[in-house]
Amino acid sequence: MIPLSNFLIVGAILFSLGVVGLFLNRKNVIAILMCIELMLLAVNINFAAFSHFLGDLGGQIMVFFVLTVAASEVAIGLAILVAYYRQRRSIAVEDINTLQG
Amino acid sequence: MADVVFPFPFPEHLDLILPEIIMAVMGMVVLLMSVFISKSKQNIVAWTSIVTCVVVAATVLNVAGQDVTTTFYGYFELDAFAAYAKVLMLVATVFAMILSLNYIKDLANIGEYYTLMIFSVLGMMLMVSATNFVVMYLGLELMALSVYVLVAYERDVLRSTEAALKYFILGALSSGMLLYGISFLYGSTGSFMYTEMGPLIASSGEDARLAVLTGMLFVLAGLSFKVSVAPFHMWTPDAYEGAPTPVTAFMSVAPKVAGLVVFMRVLIDVLPGLQEEYTTLLIFLSVLSMAVGNLAAIAQRSIKRMLAYSTIGHVGFMLLGMIAGTSAGYAGILTYMTIYLFMTMGVFGIIIMMRRDDIQGELLDDFAGLSKVRPGYALAMACLMFSMAGIPFLGGFWAKYVVFIAVIEQGHIILATLGVLFSAIGAFYYIRIVKYMYFDEERVAFNFAKELPLQVTVVVSTLIIVAVGLYPEPIMEMCKSAVVGLL
Repeated sequence: MIPLSNFLIVGAILFSLGVVGLFLNRKNVIAILMCIELMLLAVNINFAAFSHFLGDLGGQIMVFFVLTVAASEVAIGLAILVAYYRQRRSIAVEDINTLQG
Repeated sequence: MADVVFPFPFPEHLDLILPEIIMAVMGMVVLLMSVFISKSKQNIVAWTSIVTCVVVAATVLNVAGQDVTTTFYGYFELDAFAAYAKVLMLVATVFAMILSLNYIKDLANIGEYYTLMIFSVLGMMLMVSATNFVVMYLGLELMALSVYVLVAYERDVLRSTEAALKYFILGALSSGMLLYGISFLYGSTGSFMYTEMGPLIASSGEDARLAVLTGMLFVLAGLSFKVSVAPFHMWTPDAYEGAPTPVTAFMSVAPKVAGLVVFMRVLIDVLPGLQEEYTTLLIFLSVLSMAVGNLAAIAQRSIKRMLAYSTIGHVGFMLLGMIAGTSAGYAGILTYMTIYLFMTMGVFGIIIMMRRDDIQGELLDDFAGLSKVRPGYALAMACLMFSMAGIPFLGGFWAKYVVFIAVIEQGHIILATLGVLFSAIGAFYYIRIVKYMYFDEERVAFNFAKELPLQVTVVVSTLIIVAVGLYPEPIMEMCKSAVVGLL
């Protein structure tokens, strides 16, 4: 049987990929949305793995909540992105620079 | 057909959740109202929302204070602490809605605006009443998602959408970090309930220590993002500057109250076994916030950005109360937030009033010579600025006083000294505005429209600040009784 630590390592790798991608990404806001999704899915792996190894259903229920919230979060994120694109005509990360101080 | 047996009995004491139910129903009613009411009568929608908030606040006061404080099998709690926080958030929302009355009028779909505000308050109310991480997370997301949209509400304005985009990205990152932390705390305890997790975390052995510490670190980082504590404050100035001004007023108070209340609950109920570790972390966060907030504010030319940094500084001061970790410290945070609410609403009232013709009125220079044209507003602004700076004897002085005393009692003398030092530095940029108003020549003609709601907001909040400054005991007593039974 696969031990718990393996699942946690996969979760940690995915989570770090999400965070690193969020900060290193200089190209496109859509990729940032994907990174956020990756982070949340990494968290879900953690919850599901813990839930299985603890024999407690709570973690799996949490996974459903997280999935639902992630969907609505991306919906709102894309809506904001469209509103932004209409004003700026670009979604490159380096163009997001109107507000500075 | 076999009888279906519901595994749990029907929850008792549902009246404790009545304020939330009213809020949720009225959110939808307001949305429908705005569709069916003609364009010229949209003010009815706004006033309905304001009345809803007042009624809900009254309901909270009415149902709180019973012997039973929990419902839904212990998943929802309305104790004195939560009730106080809810009333505070609702008062902030009422102020923000009054500030919005004329500001939002020209934009389409007023109903959506107020609905979003109502739903974000609903999220906050669930957050502060949550006794487990699932409910807390859902409340937090309801709040955050609504506020993202509110920030982007002027969707034809580039800076509004850009602010929302930045706020959204960093907000989503913070939710991810919070969840990652929760997953580790769940993994080391097998529960989501605060009070079940606390003792298990306190008694966890060496092998679980890494998981528990990682969990604590990520949860505190995620919550710090939400209350804009440095070094997690990057989104604050941009979001504040870009958002419509009433939304800035709203998001600088209400979500902060909710976030800090959750912060306190997590520290008290979930992490009591790690007090040593989290106190070290909080000292770092607090000093950094006070430094970043008060130093960076000096360089700002836009008053909304300046107030954003000022918020970061104020939250740094509030964290001092958590470092103390005593009921005096927690009561101090509530006092601070109460006084901060009125200061902020007054200042934003004046900022919105400065908006005229095609001038935004958001630059510090726009305040030049205000005292000659409008001595009354200049005086109110001066009072509020002195109060923010913590000059005795105005409200802001007592806010800082209570948290400083709380940390000094716990022997953190150096920390309190640093706090006083930074608040002295902060006094510079607050008083600079007073200098602009009283000693500089008028640069742009002032022609204020007469706007009764704004005037009422400014006058009421200034009077409260002055009154609290002269007679702070009632508020302090209220806050003390709100934290009874928390520790």
